[in-house]
Amino acid sequence: MPNSPPAHRLSLLQGVLSAINMGAIVLDHEQRIVLWNAWMRRYSGLSEAQVLGEDFFACFPALAEGRVAMAIHQALANNFPSLLSQSLNKAPFALFASAAAAERQERIQQAIEIAPITVEGAERHCLIQISDVSIAVAREKLLREQALVLRSETFADSLTGIANRRHFDVAIGREHRRARRNGQPLSLLMIDIDHFKPYNDHYGHQKGDQCLIRAARAMAAVLKRPCDLMARYGGEEFGIILPDTDLVQAQRLAEAIRASVVALQIPHAQHSSAPQVTVSIGVATLHADAQHGIETLIGAADRALYQAKHGGRNRCACVLPE
Amino acid sequence: MLILSELENDALIEIFNIGVGQAAAAMSAIVNEAVLMSVPSISFVDRREAARLLDDKDPDAERICGVSQHYEGAFSTKAILMFPEDKSLEIVRLMVGEAVPLEELTEMEQEAMCEIGNIILNSCVGTLANIFQHELHGSLPQYHVGTSDEILRASGSAPDTVVLMLHIDFLLERHQIQGYVAFVLDLSALHDLQHQIGRYIARAMGQD
Repeated sequence: MPNSPPAHRLSLLQGVLSAINMGAIVLDHEQRIVLWNAWMRRYSGLSEAQVLGEDFFACFPALAEGRVAMAIHQALANNFPSLLSQSLNKAPFALFASAAAAERQERIQQAIEIAPITVEGAERHCLIQISDVSIAVAREKLLREQALVLRSETFADSLTGIANRRHFDVAIGREHRRARRNGQPLSLLMIDIDHFKPYNDHYGHQKGDQCLIRAARAMAAVLKRPCDLMARYGGEEFGIILPDTDLVQAQRLAEAIRASVVALQIPHAQHSSAPQVTVSIGVATLHADAQHGIETLIGAADRALYQAKHGGRNRCACVLPE
Repeated sequence: MLILSELENDALIEIFNIGVGQAAAAMSAIVNEAVLMSVPSISFVDRREAARLLDDKDPDAERICGVSQHYEGAFSTKAILMFPEDKSLEIVRLMVGEAVPLEELTEMEQEAMCEIGNIILNSCVGTLANIFQHELHGSLPQYHVGTSDEILRASGSAPDTVVLMLHIDFLLERHQIQGYVAFVLDLSALHDLQHQIGRYIARAMGQD
């Protein structure tokens, strides 16, 4: 190779350039395109004949301002190479893996290096190298999605998909602090499915699970605000945290939730007072100026639930924290 | 370690502030948001002292993220942008705007960090080279994670090598982040740098 004739050497270099699996563009000192390899032709759809000798920014006007232009300047004027990461520069070149991708305007994800090159007998040129990092980008997207699922699973109840007890404990602490800081009321609903143990014994655990899932879904659908949080508190017990909600609003909401379960009309042969699955709800509210702790609120909601059960079930009751 | 006169010191701070100003403008254009950077002070220290400077800032943050580039020409140096690892996570996430942060920088995020380093280092050294009226040749950025000493030592320099430390204040989305740019200089590079600063000051004062 060191002794091979120049013509052979040139043809070898050309062969390499057209075989390498990355885009290579060379600009001269006047920013004219003097080299355009096969990879560029394949993914840009522009042939050498269309771009050679042309001003780079006339071919790619969208790149005239921004990081690519800055990097070309750094290379030609200052002799410094630049790196353009995929994360900070979203696919600057219009390159497409296939005609279908072009139709969807789905560009190849790109990592770009722009480096000065010294050319004997001419002013400095610069080389633009483009690598396809689509696979790495897709892999990281998957990683993030899985991390997100993992994180939400630690806070979700696996049967019903709503928040679990751990999530409830964290949320109620947070909402209690926020309510005190903002001088807002905070309400809590404690909900229990009436005669759930006899239901399970009579219909079996699979039906029991189905009942829990349907009831949870119906009750959650009543809540409209993103700040409201419904959690599975225990076996057939649910808790709903209602920030910035006073007692009257909380009672109205509790009534709507009770009615939503009745509307499901899930048959319950072992119920003492109704032919279908129902819930009892305890309502408690901490007033804006109250100095009570979380335990007081939960205690009051528990007592209210007990009253609702005692009063005949399928009803709501409220207790003021003291 | 006394290396420069007060005048030379102030001239260097001024030059580096022009450099990071350009870098901040380039980064603002990328994120479409105001990015502010300044160099409040510089110091010349030996390598051991430089490592201590970084570690003392935050004793809990043992790991440092560094982005390094080599420059050669009127003077030769290895330039390293360094942040404690948690701060570099913060910068990259503010710049990239990623909603699901992972424990460590991913491959793509490391590359983004490299680009941030590339912009800052090229701007600093570029301004220096322009003002010295000399051209330098630069390498592409490399990403490192490790203790400050490991990163500074990666250049293969002796412990008594002089390090020019730039303290950098970085302000993005109301987040204030402090980092360093270290220029690792051997004795001849240090001599070249002093010589160039002397020439620049002489020119500025009309004595050249």
